[in-house]
Amino acid sequence: MKIVSVGFVDEEQDPDVRFVRGAGRYVDDIKLEGMQHLYVVRSPYARARVLSVSGGITGNELKATMESVGEDAGGRSTVSFPVLSASYVSYVGQPVAAVLGGDKYEAADKADEVDVQYEPLKPVMDPERSLESEPIHPGTESNLVAAAELGRDFDLKAPVEVEETLRMERIAPNPMETKGMVASYDGSVLTVYASTQSPFSWREGLAGSLGLKEESVRVVQMDTGGGFGSKGGIYPEYVVAAYAAMKTKRPVKWTESRYENLLATNMGRGVRGRMKVYADRKGKLKGLKADLLVDVGAYPLGGGAWTAKWIASQLVGPYAVPKAYAAAKAVLTNKVNMGPYRGAGRPEAAFFMERMMDRIADETGIDAAEVRLRNATTRETTSPLGMEAPPSKRFFTEALRAFRYSSRKKKDKVGLSFFMLIPAAYGGESAKLAVEGGRVKVWMGGSSHGQRHDVFAKKLVSEELGVPQDVIDFQHTDTGAISGGVGSWGSRTAILGGGALVEASRNLKAAAKKNLGKKYSPALLLEGDYEAEAFFKPKDMLNTLGANLATARLTKEGNAVVEEVLSFYDAGKVLNRFMLESQVTGGVAQGIGEVMYEHAVYSEDGQLLTASIADAGVIHATEMPKSVVMTAAHRSTLPHGAKGVGESPTIGVPPAATRALEVLLGRRFTTLPIEPEKLWAHDLPGRERTR
Amino acid sequence: MIPPRFEYAAPKSIGEAVGLLKSRGGEAKVLAGGQSMIPLLKLRLAAPALLVDINRIEGLDYIRESMGFLRVGALTRVATLGRSALLERRYGALHDASLTIADPLVRNLGTVGGNISHGDPSNDLPAVLLAAEGELAATGPSGERTFRAEGFFVGTFTTALAQDEILTEVRIPVPPHRSGGVYLKVEQKVADFATAGVAVQVSLGRGSECAKVGIGLTGVGPTALKAKKAEEAMLGKKATDRKAVEEAGELAADASSPASDIRGTEDYKRGLIRLLVARGLERATQRARRGA
Repeated sequence: MKIVSVGFVDEEQDPDVRFVRGAGRYVDDIKLEGMQHLYVVRSPYARARVLSVSGGITGNELKATMESVGEDAGGRSTVSFPVLSASYVSYVGQPVAAVLGGDKYEAADKADEVDVQYEPLKPVMDPERSLESEPIHPGTESNLVAAAELGRDFDLKAPVEVEETLRMERIAPNPMETKGMVASYDGSVLTVYASTQSPFSWREGLAGSLGLKEESVRVVQMDTGGGFGSKGGIYPEYVVAAYAAMKTKRPVKWTESRYENLLATNMGRGVRGRMKVYADRKGKLKGLKADLLVDVGAYPLGGGAWTAKWIASQLVGPYAVPKAYAAAKAVLTNKVNMGPYRGAGRPEAAFFMERMMDRIADETGIDAAEVRLRNATTRETTSPLGMEAPPSKRFFTEALRAFRYSSRKKKDKVGLSFFMLIPAAYGGESAKLAVEGGRVKVWMGGSSHGQRHDVFAKKLVSEELGVPQDVIDFQHTDTGAISGGVGSWGSRTAILGGGALVEASRNLKAAAKKNLGKKYSPALLLEGDYEAEAFFKPKDMLNTLGANLATARLTKEGNAVVEEVLSFYDAGKVLNRFMLESQVTGGVAQGIGEVMYEHAVYSEDGQLLTASIADAGVIHATEMPKSVVMTAAHRSTLPHGAKGVGESPTIGVPPAATRALEVLLGRRFTTLPIEPEKLWAHDLPGRERTR
Repeated sequence: MIPPRFEYAAPKSIGEAVGLLKSRGGEAKVLAGGQSMIPLLKLRLAAPALLVDINRIEGLDYIRESMGFLRVGALTRVATLGRSALLERRYGALHDASLTIADPLVRNLGTVGGNISHGDPSNDLPAVLLAAEGELAATGPSGERTFRAEGFFVGTFTTALAQDEILTEVRIPVPPHRSGGVYLKVEQKVADFATAGVAVQVSLGRGSECAKVGIGLTGVGPTALKAKKAEEAMLGKKATDRKAVEEAGELAADASSPASDIRGTEDYKRGLIRLLVARGLERATQRARRGA
């Protein structure tokens, strides 16, 4: 076989080209013989007793609960999450029954056949009052889900002491493609085609809920139009659809509308941080205290239970603090569950800490960059809260130079953030290669839901094996094709999946060499039949650093907007610059959304007031600031030298942009998103000037 | 889009359409550009038994001046307004507003008649009509009726139209020499509904004082509002009179009754009205001086 080297991506296979041509293949494109459509009947109340429910599939028939919902679900909770509730409901949108129809319309019409009698109860909506409220789950003692204390409490008098209560409000992940799946059962194996970040989490969750062996569940990922954390684990609807396919022995499709997605998809953030910092007159940190409160929504799954401790552990960020103490609590409310959303705890920690660094700058009169540099580190550290961090001073000095900080500060209203990105490296990740018919098939344990992992995958495999990229076929994750895997989230896939690809390639090459001996060549490799897998677990800390600079300006009506965002991230060896820049640009959009527009708002009686994509605040190109993406290429210790980057913009942009708006308007901002009226430069009755 | 079942009719004449509406009583709804109707259907917030699609009725898509009025056919698409040189030259407020409605996709389909007859206080064209002293013509079972814009907007999503009447034409008096209009809107994001919007129409006297003033408000009450006290306060005053302009803004803000919601607090919306009315008077006057 003649090997011809080709360019960057094969256009025929290039998913971008497929997607633009309308040739993507998503869950909703699947049509199977005899397929039925499932429609889920949901609670209109945030909290109510279910007096009776009849018609369709109900919780009286399907008594399944969800103990594991995938992504790092962690320890078991005292409360189980019913797939269909037959006794009480805990959030608006909670599934209570399901009906089947020949098409979407018929299924939706059949909802009329379901009769549910409710006795509405007063919902618990404010996390601050959750602990003094009646437990939302009967039979439990309180609405407390988790409490953690990190570090050691201390007494300290310092020349500068600043306290602030900060909030990042709940937001909806809003992926372009809403959730969905098709389930098909042949009497022994349940096959699920999924819009997902993790087929392996789905397999575990579905098998667990339905009492099946994992071997009898196969989950195949389809083209997936975004997830941002919301598609890592499973939802009640998935279990119901799988059950319906098994019960009727006909394939079942469930896809949701945008409205349903907003109502019943795990939401991100919803965290309050009461922070106190102690510093000397030179801006050097002496101590940090934090009291965190996480609103986990109705069921402590999907990240709610561990988020409080996770945020607390990383509060110190990239700085040196001699003393630190954090108390963190997670509490229940009658809202849809909290879950991971791009950054998942990292943005909260960075926002809380960076707001306090700006406060120290204001209190001491020292420049905000200088305050940060004075607290940066020159060697690896472990914070009093237990988090390891790489030395930060050199990187931040580089970042300021890349931003041309001194000259920008003279002419613009500038905000700055420094932060640490902790990739979700736990558990490692897998990859598999198979050579057959002159082509190389590539799988990863967790793969692209919009990030174009195929681009770096082909590059790495091509470089390792010496074969051209156009003989490499990138496959979506399929639990039937690869023996194990984790999933794609937490800035992990390029580093762990990439590492696994390198190892699998080396294993494959070794297998071929064993067979071919000294005459091994890439051409001969492609002539054979070989297979290799690898499960890659890194040994070293992979935490990395980032910095953002934002500028702000006023519109002609006096509304403040973010004008420009500069990103400078240590992404290690950049695997593909265009893909990195694209991913960061999307994250900048989400960061700006979070600062100014995106918000999940509930009424006092628990109705979601932001139940359309427009009201939820997703931004358009027109609200996008100018974005410049730069990287510091300090190789990691991994075989391909990469570091994580996917979540960096949602961590770094909010504090930098908030500060830029604060400097422009001369008003202090403590809660995201910032309400529109607070971004208006003109005076309003009762408005206080804080600075 | 998952609406419940409905019947669909596409009559070719206005008489036929009115007949269908009448025959089905409250169960029939008109479908024009569909930019409000389709979302209502897909969320099942509206479930009409019959949808009367009026898009095939000819002769309702025009922009022309005749007999002292600008006349716009009810099926004229919003995008067509935006492309009209006549509007740009002489009906600045209507032209401005047509360019701020939603996004280009919505403007390509959305109709002038639909924007107005939906009775949504956040739609932009009603305030323009109120400022410009517009009129509306509708056809029902007993023939044509004409309404003044003032009084047409009865309540949120309710107009003076009967269930079996169809809006056919929107009229704005041809403004005298030295008149100008402007529509200013603050939206949180492009394509969003107005946080607040203001239409201003002025005609200048010999000394550049306001001889005629119209002010309409969007999104700050149960319907689009006409700020009459603010209009009266500006009569005989110049837009360069800072105090007069600010007072007009104040009076318009007093006339509004905005609700606090995700787009902003009541105070903020009143603040925007104050600012936009003052600015609108200045800009409308500038346009009037240029003869726009």
